[in-house]
Amino acid sequence: MAVRPKNLQEARDRSRNNAELAWWVFMRVSGLFLVFLVFAHVFVNNILINVATVDYNYVATRLAKPGVKVFDTFLLGLAMLHGVNGLRVVIGDNIRRPGLRFWVQVVLIVVSVGIFVAGVMTLWAFSYREMGDAIRDLTSGH
Amino acid sequence: MYRGREGQWAYFLHRITGVALVLYLLLHVFDISLVMYGPDGPFNAFLMFYHQWPFRIGLVMVIAAVVYHALNGLRIILLDFTTWGIRYQRVMWYTVLGVTTVIGVPVLVKILPEIFGGA
Ligand code: HEM
Ligand code: HEM
Repeated sequence: MAVRPKNLQEARDRSRNNAELAWWVFMRVSGLFLVFLVFAHVFVNNILINVATVDYNYVATRLAKPGVKVFDTFLLGLAMLHGVNGLRVVIGDNIRRPGLRFWVQVVLIVVSVGIFVAGVMTLWAFSYREMGDAIRDLTSGH
Repeated sequence: MYRGREGQWAYFLHRITGVALVLYLLLHVFDISLVMYGPDGPFNAFLMFYHQWPFRIGLVMVIAAVVYHALNGLRIILLDFTTWGIRYQRVMWYTVLGVTTVIGVPVLVKILPEIFGGA
């Protein structure tokens, strides 16, 4: 099992390079922000409503709000970096064969970047007007 | 590495909840991005599939994983950046489990009837 550094000084001494140390710090800083972001997100979408009512209409209405867009952008960015870096570390600890480890990490990064781009497009590249029209069509029974 | 049995469990649970959460996140963002295909696209069909009860139990587990991972993450941050953290690591782990339960029970009370109440 991986032996983790126990504090900043140890992380500094132990890290092979500045990038690993920066990630170590990033995991902790992003974690602090994620507590707020993820709890609020899960509260709004699970506790305030019944998840079974989530459908196209619900998501399109939420994503048409600028506040939700900005909030979700931070959530997407931080959760992706934190989670994918975490998974990279776990793969590094558990897959011992260097060649295999490298390719599994490459696949992880490629898939994650693709999904991240789709997430950003969903939040920002999507016309609200079209979305508004779509909702109107939907609710007027087309 | 933390010393003592609790530390090992805390570490292991943090790891599996973390991995479960990223896997969920990747699927979740892909799923939400299907709204780009519009109201007649695949989004609603995809979601109806995930509204079936086994997946909704899955969501409850995602929420449990979030709560544990977040609280234990705060514990790790205290261990790493305070001088007193290590001394209280065991107490703090039981606190994490306690608070996870205290948050988890009302969540279950709210969500389980939605899943099994027929709706
Ligand atoms: C909600 C607030 C969160 C906090 C406070 C938090 C905190 C942390 C911390 C401090 C670590 C570093 C552990 C280490 O260096 O050994 C970590 C690892 C990790 N986190 Fe989070 N995290 C949070 C949310 C998330 C989310 C939303 C995801 C998934 C998208 C996630 C996935 C991971 C993964 C995969 C690891 C690596 C596990 C390991 O190395 O054992 N975390 N988390
Ligand atoms: C467990 C139950 C969850 C439900 C029911 C849920 C529901 C939703 C819904 C309805 C949206 C659409 C936009 C919005 O309402 O904000 C959304 C978007 C999003 N959710 Fe969740 N969510 C859950 C958990 C999570 C967790 C644990 C994370 C983070 C690790 C997360 C990260 C995101 C992100 C990043 C987006 C934006 C996606 C995009 O870029 O298009 N969600 N979620």
